[in-house]
Amino acid sequence: MPRRSLIYRFATQWQLQFMALCGILFVLTFHYAPMFGIVIAFKQADYSVNLLRSLTEAPWIGLEHFREFIDDYMFRDILLNTVGLNLLQLLINFPAPIVFAILISEVAHGRFKKIVQSISYFPHFISWIVFGGIVINMLSVESGIVVPVLQGIGLMDEPINLLGEADAFWPIIILTSLIKGLGWGSIIYLAAITTIDPTLYEAATIDGAGRFRRIWHITLPSITGTIIVFFILSVSNLLNSSFDHIWVFQTPLNLDRSEVIDTFVYKVGITQMRYSYTTAVGLFKSVVALVLLVAGHLICKRVAGRGIF
Amino acid sequence: MYQAKRVDLFTICNYTFLTLFCLLTVYPLFFVLIGSLNDGNDYMRGGVYFFPRDFSLANYNVVLQDERLYTGFKVSIGRTVLGTLTSVFFTAMVSYAMSRNNLIGRTPYYWVHLFTLFFGGGLIPYFLVLKSLALINTFWVYIIPGLFSVFNMIILNAFFREIPEEIHESATVDGAGEFRIFLLLFIPLSAPVLATVALWNAVHHWNSFFDAMIFTTKPHLMPLQLFLMKMIREADVISNSQFVPPQVQRQISVQTIRMAAIVVSTVPILLVYPFLQRFFVTGFMVGSLKG
Repeated sequence: MPRRSLIYRFATQWQLQFMALCGILFVLTFHYAPMFGIVIAFKQADYSVNLLRSLTEAPWIGLEHFREFIDDYMFRDILLNTVGLNLLQLLINFPAPIVFAILISEVAHGRFKKIVQSISYFPHFISWIVFGGIVINMLSVESGIVVPVLQGIGLMDEPINLLGEADAFWPIIILTSLIKGLGWGSIIYLAAITTIDPTLYEAATIDGAGRFRRIWHITLPSITGTIIVFFILSVSNLLNSSFDHIWVFQTPLNLDRSEVIDTFVYKVGITQMRYSYTTAVGLFKSVVALVLLVAGHLICKRVAGRGIF
Repeated sequence: MYQAKRVDLFTICNYTFLTLFCLLTVYPLFFVLIGSLNDGNDYMRGGVYFFPRDFSLANYNVVLQDERLYTGFKVSIGRTVLGTLTSVFFTAMVSYAMSRNNLIGRTPYYWVHLFTLFFGGGLIPYFLVLKSLALINTFWVYIIPGLFSVFNMIILNAFFREIPEEIHESATVDGAGEFRIFLLLFIPLSAPVLATVALWNAVHHWNSFFDAMIFTTKPHLMPLQLFLMKMIREADVISNSQFVPPQVQRQISVQTIRMAAIVVSTVPILLVYPFLQRFFVTGFMVGSLKG
């Protein structure tokens, strides 16, 4: 049978093409159009809200905005906070749910397990605003509970407003994201663990493997695939600080350690309407993220023998 | 899953750790609840950790009089219901087409989608695009940009590809078009994974305030979370204080009001949580694993 022409075949599957092109149209509008908007990072288009006019009419100024950002007195802090907070979260919050899932799977008591799961999933369903609001109340010097407890166990000499301490910001972010995300993050690993063939464990036990050996030689290798998939997803998301999370805990007093590119772009870009400048800052972030992604890929290849893609 | 028979040191440590973790998760909620039920001025003396010391409902009285709370509930419920339904449908539709092997241009389409996961224009150009589309300061700014998610498309796509080809074939022989097959066969067959994606969407819609903060300025578009954020960060708490009688004002404080607002906004989630939970211990695991 002769091959039908492309146009004919395309026409016969118009229903499918319509469905697929809906998606293409969407990403062209909401993902690719903003990419073209990056051009204004190299233009003097501040204070103008019409994207098309900015693109065509605004004068070119080259890398001026990038230079301005690098010269900003906050630049070093912002870069350090953005990269530091995200790397720290990757280092701590990525493996934690895996450990948590293994701990839950080791619980033999069904009822207890269910209760732990119900409770640990719950914080995922409340927003950072609500969760942050609760934590802020607990950290309050006058009426909170954290300060008296820290004093009680001797970790704090006199009452300190922890949200006003720049150095306390990173620990607050890490701890709160652990409590909020641990349970939910463990679901997928727990699901993967459930599919492991129980006879493997029986065989290992008969061969004399203790609990840690079983975890190390059976559980972990069995969920490696899932771990790698989620690692790739976290890395590709590396510099997207959770705006909500940082925003609730950010105060003028802890800016040194809490200002990240995302919050900076919001404040300067949206509230001060300096569009070109903050587009440049955002582009700077994308480039740093890309560099980190490539670096991570190379390190992975050298250390583990395989890349992250 | 295997069963541990004897109680060893590991088991003891594990149970202790998990119990402590649960207490650490539950206590903050309890802390806020009792704080909100305490007299405001008395609360500021500190030390209310386990039970309300000076029981009072004045905080709730003030919070429940705030109109912005009701607007917030309306906007949040509206965007959660409408946003979730439209997004799941739209994303599933694109995923269905992308899961068909005979789709012309499938590979290039896929790369067009995938690229957006690794690179984006950033917030400001995105804002300007929404502005050009006249979505700023409309309710639709919550719905339309969220219609489609590449990430969810990939997950649904993987699930649709697991559905046996024979089902599609026999429906085609019976004369069904692609729309009909998608609506009457694929949607019902993938209910668990659709429900999972719907849950992610709903949580996202209910909890988000960033888009509202950036893309809207009108008070009648303010979702619940933005209202809470204003209370927590900007301390514009007792806006309706002119309606609050003086004797009540003496019983409240900024902190206890915030706590009451937090409790009021968390109650709906507490109410639906048991139902959600039953669903994601069964359907969720089946659905997400295939993705």
